[in-house]
Amino acid sequence: MMSEKKGEKKKKRILVCDDEESIRLLLSEALEEWYDIDLAADGREALKKATNESFDLIIIDIKMPGVHGLEAIERIRQRDIKTPIIICSAYRLMQDDIVVKTSDVDAFITKPIDIKEFKEKIFELIGV
Amino acid sequence: MNKKILITLRFVLILVTVLVITYSKKGLSFPEPGYTIALFYFVTNLILYFLPEKFFSKPIITFLIFLFDIITISLVVYMVQGFETDFYIVYFLVIFAASVSQGIIGSIPIAAVASIIYAWLMYRSNPEISFFSSQILLRIPLLFTMTLICSYWSAATRHELKKKEDLERFSHKLEREIGVIAAAEIELRRYHEKILNSVPSGVIATRKDGIITTLNPEAERVLCLGKDEVIGHNIKDIPGLDAFWKKMEQAINSGITVKRDEVLVKNKENKTTPIGISISPITDIKDKFSGCVAIFKDLSEIRRLEEKLKQAEKLSYLGKMASWVAHEIRNPLTAIDGFAQLLNNKAKQEKIGLYSSEIRKGTERINYIIDDILCFARTKRKVTHVEINLRELIQSIIKGIVHIKITISGDKSSIIKGEIESIRRVFVNLINNSAEAMGEDGRLKINFSSNKKMILTEIIDNGKGIPKENLKNLVTAFFTTKQRGTGLGLSIVQKIIDEHNGKIEIESEEGVGTTCRVYLPKEREEEKNDE
Repeated sequence: MMSEKKGEKKKKRILVCDDEESIRLLLSEALEEWYDIDLAADGREALKKATNESFDLIIIDIKMPGVHGLEAIERIRQRDIKTPIIICSAYRLMQDDIVVKTSDVDAFITKPIDIKEFKEKIFELIGV
Repeated sequence: MNKKILITLRFVLILVTVLVITYSKKGLSFPEPGYTIALFYFVTNLILYFLPEKFFSKPIITFLIFLFDIITISLVVYMVQGFETDFYIVYFLVIFAASVSQGIIGSIPIAAVASIIYAWLMYRSNPEISFFSSQILLRIPLLFTMTLICSYWSAATRHELKKKEDLERFSHKLEREIGVIAAAEIELRRYHEKILNSVPSGVIATRKDGIITTLNPEAERVLCLGKDEVIGHNIKDIPGLDAFWKKMEQAINSGITVKRDEVLVKNKENKTTPIGISISPITDIKDKFSGCVAIFKDLSEIRRLEEKLKQAEKLSYLGKMASWVAHEIRNPLTAIDGFAQLLNNKAKQEKIGLYSSEIRKGTERINYIIDDILCFARTKRKVTHVEINLRELIQSIIKGIVHIKITISGDKSSIIKGEIESIRRVFVNLINNSAEAMGEDGRLKINFSSNKKMILTEIIDNGKGIPKENLKNLVTAFFTTKQRGTGLGLSIVQKIIDEHNGKIEIESEEGVGTTCRVYLPKEREEEKNDE
């Protein structure tokens, strides 16, 4: 998914981690015009990529097989990676008893998403 | 006793005789030694009357009293010069009195003293008297004979009296004891009644033929029956208690205690009450079954609470289910909504096909979730069974799993009859569970084997295993220890396997791994549940 348009300055990189293929596709389709999108299908893959490569933003789901989102976030922060993180989940913080360390996460966006608002949030966090 | 006899005899016999002798000899002339002695007699007898009974219990005292009497009478006779009269009769009377009160041992010395004094008096009145005269030879032996007869007679009478007295005493004692026993029996009866009345369970006892003998207040309350209207009546004649009697009869006939059974009874207002009942047969003294006693409890309240609990559980299920549905549906909904937004915003011609196909996938996913819910919630349904090659099915499932190593071994052909989508759901669930439990060095082994009727599929992982305390909750719907789990998977698995008349076993050891064994029949059994 990495694409670099000729002549333009290098795009910021975003790692999208979701076990649902359609969500990964949706986010990359929605954001690829402004960002370089890399994908991960579960927490383990996301952790590996976040450790080995450098990103400007990580968008991660909570519910995934193997290493789930919250565990991946914890481990990323343990490795002292300070990349901003947006959680994008179908869970509701209060309703579903999800506990997130606010110091670890920069935003919590609930599914379904408004693409326009989502983009604005990302612009606000890391710019273009 | 001694005192009474003694004083009475002295009054009646001696005093009267002294007065009679004196009067016959001297008439009413005063002062006269005979009357003086009579007066003295009267006074001493009065004194004796006031002395305690104990005083007379010593034989020596009574002996001295009679001795004193003999001397006194002799003195009177001597003083009034009444030798020619029948005064010796007085000696008889004293000896008679002594015999009655003293018996033979006390009266013989008295008789001896009387004989000596009498002989001396005879001699005084007539110094020439012959030893062989009738006054001496007849009267003195007569005194002794009389002593013996009187003693014997009095001893016999005393014996009789004592017997009577003992009998009376015994009968009194018996009466008293009967009184005590009767009081104790009443107390015991009251105590038993109190126990029966305070038992918080209904108690009813009947004879073998069904006649009701006991009914406690709780039984009255539960059965809505008055004690007076049923005691002595046959339980068979009381409407609404047929089921009750049936159980009781069973206990009487078999002699076996009926434990924790349940019956329905109908009361007068036609209200049916569920009753928990235990019945024990009662045996008579010959150890034959003579009736039975039933202890029972009204279960209405318990049933009501159970119903309430069930309702609460249902609501809690519903809540969990709603939350699960919400989460599961939001994901495909996100895709549908997102692609719809993209179509609207930047619908490049070449992307339209892709986006609309993603939208369709989302709707399919939602449909699948709805199926899952229905599958979980359904009670009975018609399924179409087809031939399924389990090996091929599982191979198609594991294609999508990349993060662990999976090996398949065992029978090449593992064909069962079943509903393909349901069976797929079983293995997707189980394999995903295993895959999620394993780390980077995860190894999943799938092995097929079979016997005549069943195919066994073993799914063996080397994941983190299931803690012992969670094993029993595995198939409880919505029970999950995973942060992301829904807790519905294994319930559905269990349900589908049950529907296929199969069996699932899950063994697990923490830190070692989990083994799932799924047994599915090769052929479909004749389904009774099919509509």
